[in-house]
Amino acid sequence: MNPGLKLLLTILIALEISFTTNLVVNLVLIGASLIYLLAKKIKWLSLLKLILVPFIPAFGLLVSQLFYGHGGPIYAWILFSRIYAYVFIGATFTITSDITELALTLEQNFHLPAKFAYGVLAAFNLIPKIQAEIKIIKTAGMMRGVPLHFWSPKLYFKAILAAISWSQNLAEAMTSHGFVEGQARTFYQPMSLTLKDWLSFGSILVLVQLLIIFAPTLP
Amino acid sequence: MTQVVVSDFTFKYQHQETTVLNHINTTFASAAFNLLVGPSGSGKTTLLKFIAGLYPQFSHNAATGSILFDHLAIDSLSEQQRCQQVAMVFQNPNQQFAMDTVQNELVFVLENLQTPPAQINQQLNAALSFCDITDLKKRELNTLSGGEKQRVALACIVAMNPAVIVLDEPFASIDPTSRQILIKQLKELQLNQQKTIILADHDLSDYENIVDNVHQLDSTTGKIQRLTPKASQELFATFNQQQHDLPAVSLPDTTQQPIVTLNDVYVGHPKRQLLHQDHFNFYPGKTTLITGHNGIGKSTLFNAITKLIKYQGEISYQQQNIQKLRNLKYAQQVKLLFQDAENQFLEITVQEELALAKKHRNNAFYDDQTIQQILTQLNLANHLNQVVYSLSEGQKKKLQIMIMLIMAPPVLLLDEPLKGLDLQSIKVVVNLLQTAKEQLNQTQLLISHQLVGLAPLVDYHVNFADQHLSYEGVSA
Repeated sequence: MNPGLKLLLTILIALEISFTTNLVVNLVLIGASLIYLLAKKIKWLSLLKLILVPFIPAFGLLVSQLFYGHGGPIYAWILFSRIYAYVFIGATFTITSDITELALTLEQNFHLPAKFAYGVLAAFNLIPKIQAEIKIIKTAGMMRGVPLHFWSPKLYFKAILAAISWSQNLAEAMTSHGFVEGQARTFYQPMSLTLKDWLSFGSILVLVQLLIIFAPTLP
Repeated sequence: MTQVVVSDFTFKYQHQETTVLNHINTTFASAAFNLLVGPSGSGKTTLLKFIAGLYPQFSHNAATGSILFDHLAIDSLSEQQRCQQVAMVFQNPNQQFAMDTVQNELVFVLENLQTPPAQINQQLNAALSFCDITDLKKRELNTLSGGEKQRVALACIVAMNPAVIVLDEPFASIDPTSRQILIKQLKELQLNQQKTIILADHDLSDYENIVDNVHQLDSTTGKIQRLTPKASQELFATFNQQQHDLPAVSLPDTTQQPIVTLNDVYVGHPKRQLLHQDHFNFYPGKTTLITGHNGIGKSTLFNAITKLIKYQGEISYQQQNIQKLRNLKYAQQVKLLFQDAENQFLEITVQEELALAKKHRNNAFYDDQTIQQILTQLNLANHLNQVVYSLSEGQKKKLQIMIMLIMAPPVLLLDEPLKGLDLQSIKVVVNLLQTAKEQLNQTQLLISHQLVGLAPLVDYHVNFADQHLSYEGVSA
């Protein structure tokens, strides 16, 4: 499916389950996402991470609801499964979509300002740089005799400074490479938004509605 | 075929007292190779960014006067017209690109110029092949060396095909061979395609028979002067005189106790091995210069020694595996002078940075009076209350070196410490490093492409080639 439409779909479904208190709906969505991910040949390590990383917050939520909440055990399990539903639905987008294609489709098919599309892309390309930068900031701090921890304001000050200077440099680099806000550009890799994309988008959305309406609620 | 005329141009940063560019007048001749020289902080970057049309859009400061491209004022051009007139290669190779891969960046450039998609492939390949970097096409920009990035940056400019090419110290951190290749390619662009080249540099080597005009900026008056051929010749002569190749140094005495040891160390990217060293020693109380081609992995070696990156094998400091030493304790012993000066700063103003350095220093070798003296020698005494991030690149570098000297670590790794410094500052800095070595027995490992003025400091010379380090010199 077109990555832009896929992103929209995952956001819509995630929004809907935020207002749905039905365990079956969550389980079906998790199951369907899992099947989709397996069909797309997700790496076992990524899958393991998807299961393990949300476990602590999900488990915390479960325990606090079970012991201190007033919603009962089913409600606690709904909250637990909802976190996994978010993660798995999100993964159906992140694991199977290319961020460059997302930026291209946002610009070409959804007619978002090119500045926004390339901003998203640039931010994404910055992620490894941000991780390396944090390491550099911490080491540089130690070399100055100032250990920086994740709660140290200086760490954030330096990280934000780096981000500001990157954004300024990025803007200059883009301008110097001929990018002009609002000016027409040609597209080397045209992105398509086909009837088939809309049909799958529509049918999945309808199926989810049917699921939400007709899924049995557990007592 | 476009000449650039700067007339009565004045510019001053809001929060600074001195006027950077003071009613300057000069003409960068059409289809000529124009070299812009001047000490660090003299406003070269500022002037170039104005010529490239990047200011005042990005910097909300008032400038008066005009910059004309064949009678067209740069600020009167539409952005599209401006792109046909001028494009710029920046000083920092890490901050020139918006996309992830070399190919995507070039596609981005060509799309911006509204190149018909059918022609993009051909133009992209032509630009890569002109710059002789076709093999980099699919590479991720993040994995390229500084020199490779500058060659990609030039390829982007070639693809854009502007009349005027502006370059701001594009070779500051790249090796002599890549530098010569790039200068040759620029000369070709000038001669065969009638491009007007305006290039700022501190290091005057390789330009003497290449450039047509030399323009000199004076940092004290803020004036620019187009040198006569005779004056240019004198400038090059003075520079060449100061430019000594390293005199033959002696090989280290291998019986002495090493301070840093590499054992079976393997460093590299998944696809590209940089260093594979069975055994290597660095010796204490000496300055060891490490040279080698651009992209060979010299900075990466420093990153491994300072635990900034992962590596295989064992690196030890005073016979102890550094992975077993506590990070903070190790960082007090072995410090890195980062290539990018801003990485070193933690405070806001120059004064605060110096105070922090004094607070955590290893010994009080530098008293307040000496510090004041050094500040004056380095022309930083009037900048005490200035925000460090608003200093020029050269001033940042000088402050950074001062901080590290005050902290006086037993081992100091210096990654391009002379980058962006003028000859006068280089002299002062080399003297200071010499003193630290002699008085404090400091061990200095040094990466520098800039060899001018460095000779008196260097005790040992290590060549980094074919993934190996080896000492060069004559037996003692």
